[in-house]
Amino acid sequence: MDYLNAKSAPAREDRLKTNIAYGGTCEQLRGCVEKGCFGESGCLNLAGRRFSQTQGCQFTLSLAILNTLRNAVIVMHSPIGCGACSTGNIGVNKTFKQLRDPRAEGVIWLSTNLDEADVINGGERKLRETVLYADLEFRPETIIVANGCVPALIGDDIDNILADLQTQTAAVIVPIHCEGFKSKVMATAYDAVYHGILKKYVKKPERREYVTEPDLEMLKKQYRISRNVNVLNVSSMSRADELELQRLLTAIGLNVTFIPCYAEPEDFQYSLETSLNVSICGTHDDYFVGHLKEKYDIPFLIDTIPIGRKNTDRWILKIAGYFGLEKEARQLIAYENELLDRSLEPFRSRLSGKRAFLAGGEVRIIATAEILQDLGITVAGFKAHHFDEFITPIFESLEDIDDVPIHVATNQPFEQTNLLKRLKPDVIITHTGGNNIAAKHGLPILPLFGPAYNYLGYSGVFEVARRLNRIMSNPQFNKKLAENKPLPFREDWYGKDPFTYIKKQDVV
Amino acid sequence: MSKFVDRPRYTCSLGGALATLRAIPRAVPIIHASAGCGHNLHNAINSGAGYIGGGYCGGLSLPSSNVAERDIVFGGEDRLREQIQSTLEIMDGDVFFVLTGCMVEMIGDDLEAVTSDFSDCGKTLIAVHTPSFRGNSYTGYELVMEALIQKYITKQDVKDPKAVNILGIVPAQDVFWEGNLRELKRLLQKLGLTVNTFFGEGETLKDIGNAGKAALNIVVSDIHGVQAAEAFEEFHAIPFITTGFPIGTAATEVFLRAVSEALGIDDSLTGVVIKEEKAIYYDYLERLADLYNDIDMQRYAVVVGDSSYVPAITRFLSDELGWLPELAVITDFLDDKQKNILSRRFENFESGLKPSVRFDTDASSVRKYIAEIWPRNRNDRYYDSFSPTVVLGSVFERDLAVEFGFPLLTVSYPVTNRVVLDRAYAGVKGALSIVEDLFSILVAGR
Repeated sequence: MDYLNAKSAPAREDRLKTNIAYGGTCEQLRGCVEKGCFGESGCLNLAGRRFSQTQGCQFTLSLAILNTLRNAVIVMHSPIGCGACSTGNIGVNKTFKQLRDPRAEGVIWLSTNLDEADVINGGERKLRETVLYADLEFRPETIIVANGCVPALIGDDIDNILADLQTQTAAVIVPIHCEGFKSKVMATAYDAVYHGILKKYVKKPERREYVTEPDLEMLKKQYRISRNVNVLNVSSMSRADELELQRLLTAIGLNVTFIPCYAEPEDFQYSLETSLNVSICGTHDDYFVGHLKEKYDIPFLIDTIPIGRKNTDRWILKIAGYFGLEKEARQLIAYENELLDRSLEPFRSRLSGKRAFLAGGEVRIIATAEILQDLGITVAGFKAHHFDEFITPIFESLEDIDDVPIHVATNQPFEQTNLLKRLKPDVIITHTGGNNIAAKHGLPILPLFGPAYNYLGYSGVFEVARRLNRIMSNPQFNKKLAENKPLPFREDWYGKDPFTYIKKQDVV
Repeated sequence: MSKFVDRPRYTCSLGGALATLRAIPRAVPIIHASAGCGHNLHNAINSGAGYIGGGYCGGLSLPSSNVAERDIVFGGEDRLREQIQSTLEIMDGDVFFVLTGCMVEMIGDDLEAVTSDFSDCGKTLIAVHTPSFRGNSYTGYELVMEALIQKYITKQDVKDPKAVNILGIVPAQDVFWEGNLRELKRLLQKLGLTVNTFFGEGETLKDIGNAGKAALNIVVSDIHGVQAAEAFEEFHAIPFITTGFPIGTAATEVFLRAVSEALGIDDSLTGVVIKEEKAIYYDYLERLADLYNDIDMQRYAVVVGDSSYVPAITRFLSDELGWLPELAVITDFLDDKQKNILSRRFENFESGLKPSVRFDTDASSVRKYIAEIWPRNRNDRYYDSFSPTVVLGSVFERDLAVEFGFPLLTVSYPVTNRVVLDRAYAGVKGALSIVEDLFSILVAGR
C-alpha cells in the first residue's frame, strides 16, 4: 500500500469496495461476499438509496480523531458551519486529554469562515491569516488544517499555500484533506487523518547517535524494541479500555504504546521503535498500518477487536504468536476466563433469553454480539454502518447467526425503525446519534460504545453485562416517552419492506 | 470583508434554518447537501443549545440528498427530485422545507424548478437557499422566517388590532428560546393581546399561517428578526417596532410601554400590569435582602454573548442587581451601523456605570480585554484587583473563568454544561431565574 504521494487518501468505496446499503441475513451476506457482489463489478458495489437521511461525512468523523491530538490547534478551512460539531467535544475532550496529561489544553479550533466573496476569489488570504494567527496566539506544536468541501471545489491550492506558510510558523502544519462530498463512506475519514499523520507526524525520533555504538547499548535498544507493541486506539475507546488492554499485554511481557488518539506529536516518532502495530479495528487502521509496513517495515496485526471473551482470547493469542509468548498467553487466558465466567453467572440468570438488536460500526456490533451470546441473549438483528472485508474474522466468534437479519446503513433511522417494528427486540444496543428516533420504540438502549466506559478486554465483558442488566431493569424513561411522542414516519412505511429504497450502483 | 473566527458561537445559515424548523411542529426539512451537513449541524446544535435533541424528525432522521462527487459534476437536481418524492412517501409532516448546502449552491442546482414539480403533491413544499457561506445561524432564522412570510402566511387585509407577533428570538442560538417566548407571551397577554410566537409551547402551524392578521410585529432584538419584520411589512403590511431584549423589571417596563404606545393601549392598564409584575418580582427578591447584605453579594461581572443578551444582561446587572459589569463582549457578525445601535444600549445606566463594550467574534479575545480594562498588578503592595467577579457567557469562557478563578454562569450559545428545558431568562420571571442561578453558584459551597 502506498498512497502517500497522492494529495489525499482515496475514497473507501474505491479502495475497499465498501458497501453502505444492503439488507438480508448473515448467511445471505456471506453468500454475497463469496459471489463477489461487493467487488469491482459486483451488483452491490456502490449501492445507494432513493431516500436517505443525513449520515455524517469524513470531515466530521476526522474531527473525532483530530480533536484528541494534544498540543494541536485545528484550522477548519471551510465556511462557518463545517466542524461546528466540535462544540459538543469541548468539555469531554479536555477531560479525556487530561487523563493522559493533567496540563493538556482543551480543543481549540478556528474556522476560516469562507463567505460568498471567498467562493468567487478563493480562500487563500483567509487561510494564511488564520494559520498565522493560530501560530502566534496559541503557540501549538502542530496546526492541523482540515478542509471542507468548498475549498476543494473552488480549487484552493492548499498544500502549496501551507508549504509556503510552513516557512513562517513555529508549529508544524499538517494538512488533512477530508472534504465530505468525496466519499459516501464516512470511515474514509480514518484514512484522511492517517494520511496527514503519516506525512507530517511520523518520522524517526532524534536520538543520540554514537560514532561507534557499544554492543551493550545496541543490545539494550534491540531488546527494548523487541518487546514494544503499538496498540492503535480509537476515539470511541475509554482510558479504562486502554488500561485493560495494557494490563493484558503487560502480563505476557510486552510494553504497550497507544497511538493515535490523545497522543502527543512526539509519541508518533517513538512509535516507530516498535516490533508490531496492533489494530483493534480494521475499519480504523488498515491504511495506517499498511503504510507503516511499506515505509518502515513494521509488521502489523489486523484481526479481531478485543470485545467479548473469545475475541479477546484470540486477540491476545495472535499478538503473543508474534513474540513466541503463546504459553504465557494461554496461562493468562485460562486464568482470566475462569474468573470472568464465574462473575457473569448472576447476569446470565437475569438476561438469558432476551433478544437484542445491535447497530453501529461493523466490527463493533459483531464483536459485541459475542458478549450477548455469552450471557444467553439472542441476537435479533444487526445494523452496520458499512460493510467490507474487515467484518469476516469477527463472525467466527458467533454461533447460530445464519438467519439473523443484517442491515447495512450509515445511520438511516427510517430503515432501522421499520426493521425494529418487525424484530421487536427487548433491548437496543446502538451507536450514538439518532436516539431521538430509537427511544420512541419504548425500549431500553445501551450505548454501543462510550469514551467514559469500559467495553474492551475481559473487564469490558463484565462491565457491559453489568450495565446491560442495569439498563434493562428500568426502561420507563423510553417507555413513557414512546407513549407520548410519535415517530415521524407515515404508517404505510411500516407495511413496506425495510429495504425498499435501496438502489444499486449509486454515486461514487 | 469577513475574517476567520476562533471557536464560532454559531453555525451556518443551514444550521440556523434547521434549528428554526426544529422549533416548528410537524415541519420536515429536506436537506439538499453533502451527507455530513445535517449530522454535523445537529451535533453542534444539540450540545450547544443545552441538549435540545433531534425532536420529532431532526438529528440523524433529517432527510438529506447526501450528494457526492458525481452529483456535483453532473448536477444534483435529479437526486433532489428523487429525494423529495421519497420523503413525501415516508415522512409524516405537514410542511416540507427544502434547504440547501454550499455545494449545490455553487454548482447552481435550480431549487425552484425542482420544487415546483411538486406543486400538486398535496403538501406545502417551501424552498429556502441556505448555503453555509452566507451569514451564520441568525441568517438561517431570517431566511426561514422570510420564506414563511412570503410563501406560507396567509395575506389578510383586515388586521386584528389586539394581535401581535414576536420576532427576534432565534431558536437554539437563544438557548432559552422556548421559556423566553412563553414569558414574553405571558406579559403581553396581560395587556389583553393575542400573541403569536411562531414556536414554543402550544404554537401550531395554523397559528403561523394566521400571523398575517397581526397589527404589530415586536422584534425583541436590535439585530435579529429585523429582516423578517421588514419582509412582514412588505408582504403583509404589518408595521414593526424593535424593543431590545427585555430582562428585569425595568427593561420589561420599557418593553411593555413601547408595545402599548405602538398599539395605543391605555396607559393605565399598562401601568397596572407593570405594578403587578414588580410586586411579584420584589416579593421574591426581598428574600435576598438578608443574604445579599449579610455576606456582600455584590460582584464585578464580565458578560459575553450575542447582541440580544449582552446589552440586556449588562443593564440588568448594573441597574437592578447592583453589580459592576465592567466588560461586555458582543460576539455576532455585525456591521458598523449595527455596532452603533448596540453601543447606545450601554448609555445612561441608572447606576452611572459605563461598561467597556467590545465587538469581537473570537473566543481567545475575551481574556485580552480583561487585561485592557483593568490595570495589572505591577507588584504593588496594595492592589485594587478585579475581584470578586462573575462571568456570564458561553461554555467557551470556562477556561478563562478557571484561569482567573471566576465563577461562570453559561447564558449564551454554546451551553454544553447545562441542560435547558423550559427555563426563561427574559422578562420578569426570567430575571428571577437569573438571580436564582447566579446566587446559587455563589452559595454552592455553603
